[in-house]
Amino acid sequence: MADIPVFFLHGLAYAGLLFLVSSGLTLVFGLMNVLNFSHAAFYMLGAYFSYSILHLTGNFWLCLIACPLLLLAIGALVERFLLRRVHSYGHVHELLLTFGLAYIITELVKWTWGNYPLSVHVGGVLSDKIHIFGIDYPVYRIFIFVCAVVVGLLMSLVIYRTRVGIIVRAAVNDSQMVGALGINVPFVFMSVFAVGAALSGFAGVIAGPLLTTYPGMAAEILIDAFVVIVVGGFGSLGGAVLASVIIGELQSFGVLLIPKLSLALIYMLMAAVLIIKPSGLFGEEQ
Amino acid sequence: MIGQKSYLNVCLSALFLLLVAVIVPMWFPPYQVCLVTEVIVFSLYAISYNLLLGYSGLLSFGHAMFFGTGAYATAVALGHLPGLPIYGAIVIAVLLTTVVSFLVGGLLLRHKGSYFALLTLAFNALFYAIATKWYTITGGDDGLSVTRPDLNIGIASLNMADITTFYLFTLICIGAVILFCWYFCHTAMGQTVLLMRENEERMKFLGYNTNTSRLILFTFTGALAGLSGSFYALFFEFTSISAISTDMTTTVLLMTFIGGTGSFGGPILGALVYTYLQDFLSDITDRWPLIMGFIFIFMVLYVPGGLSGMINSIRERFAGTGTPANLIERGGRKQ
Repeated sequence: MADIPVFFLHGLAYAGLLFLVSSGLTLVFGLMNVLNFSHAAFYMLGAYFSYSILHLTGNFWLCLIACPLLLLAIGALVERFLLRRVHSYGHVHELLLTFGLAYIITELVKWTWGNYPLSVHVGGVLSDKIHIFGIDYPVYRIFIFVCAVVVGLLMSLVIYRTRVGIIVRAAVNDSQMVGALGINVPFVFMSVFAVGAALSGFAGVIAGPLLTTYPGMAAEILIDAFVVIVVGGFGSLGGAVLASVIIGELQSFGVLLIPKLSLALIYMLMAAVLIIKPSGLFGEEQ
Repeated sequence: MIGQKSYLNVCLSALFLLLVAVIVPMWFPPYQVCLVTEVIVFSLYAISYNLLLGYSGLLSFGHAMFFGTGAYATAVALGHLPGLPIYGAIVIAVLLTTVVSFLVGGLLLRHKGSYFALLTLAFNALFYAIATKWYTITGGDDGLSVTRPDLNIGIASLNMADITTFYLFTLICIGAVILFCWYFCHTAMGQTVLLMRENEERMKFLGYNTNTSRLILFTFTGALAGLSGSFYALFFEFTSISAISTDMTTTVLLMTFIGGTGSFGGPILGALVYTYLQDFLSDITDRWPLIMGFIFIFMVLYVPGGLSGMINSIRERFAGTGTPANLIERGGRKQ
């Protein structure tokens, strides 16, 4: 059982990635009430952009800054020119639009980068190993976890402790009133959506070296992120943290203990939560 | 519940369909017969989807799980039970999907709106994972091949390997089911579902158990999707994981949306347009899914009523008076 620390750390690393993906999703849902099906497609775009930038410049740190900025711009454009138009038609149309967008992005990615896996290699400190808990462990996986913690802390700070956060939360509650107070509400919503897209782009960059970069990566992570949201509770940041850790560790130890059922484990967890507490661990009752 | 005019419309459409049924195999080459069979199979699939989306306002991204279950059930039943008649395989598929959709519906219908959409997508992924991993039953990535058994109707045995015979068989079976769906929409149950979408609170106050009605509808549409999946497997003589993947949901979504969610016949039109468009585009370019995606986004943005909505508004403009004030025709969408 000397493997236990290794698998525990693997689980934490995957939990970090899951949190990075689901935090953006839950941010946009919690604040804008839009379930963004194209979130995972943005994440995939982040990974592919990072592959290309790394190919051109060889600097991974540059990818970590440039890709989220690119996705920020894409997210802003999508909200401004697509999502805002269908907002008045209601919920179904917003979901359909983001679903169709995800479909198009996947096809475009297949066209541009090819329908096969690409591998991303990070040079420098990140590809080293570190001695921890009596084992040698890749620095990169620890880096993922640290990134997730930093992003989580920053998000909760901005949303709950700053003026910007107050404005955003107020705009969700009563957009007319906030608009009457002289705040540009459509711009607030556009920014929230763009930040969500940037977060998914960041997660994509992070995921590139850990998992393979291929056109199916979006669908794969989307389901796991959905399970995180269902288990943690819709729109709850704390729930997303807890559920990410649970699912990350469950995946990791599932592979170690019962490899054949490891895939089914997270679905069983989701079904159990749905039966016992349909609103999720931290979710509000509907 | 059913007005005189609708009866006339349905009789005329049925007559028209009968004419088509006779003409198509006579003059058309086998390739066209194949395409029309595909349109018929997908029509039922799209209609079942529209009963969810258009009639009850439930947006599901997991309809392929029932379609795929039907397809796999047919393939597995025909593969493992020698001497099983063709209708036996279809009945098994429908029964299984009824049970599956009842269970899934019971679990997922506790939620509405975005949450429901998310859960259906996640469950579709679960079904997809089962189909890929359970190699001994489903054949995994290799899929399963299906041999159409002959149909024995007492006096004669019909050779189902012949596409024209199979086409007529499909037309009669699925045509009858589609007629039944149309009838279902006009029964008290169908109207309940429709009114629930408009004002659920009120229906509850009137004493309707809306949760039960929704579960019945969900199970019914699941069974219909299973039936079309069963015919899909018989038609292609093959079942692969693509039948149960999210792509199959995207397909039905496109068909329903191109045709229009606002009317009963819209999805049939959508299935027709989609199948021929796909046939046409895939000849020209390998990138046809991309074009389909753009068409879909375009429809969502600019033509939310779909083709049938367009036709209706044109008819209203020229006829002056407009169609009767029917809830279904308007699709209940805030425009």
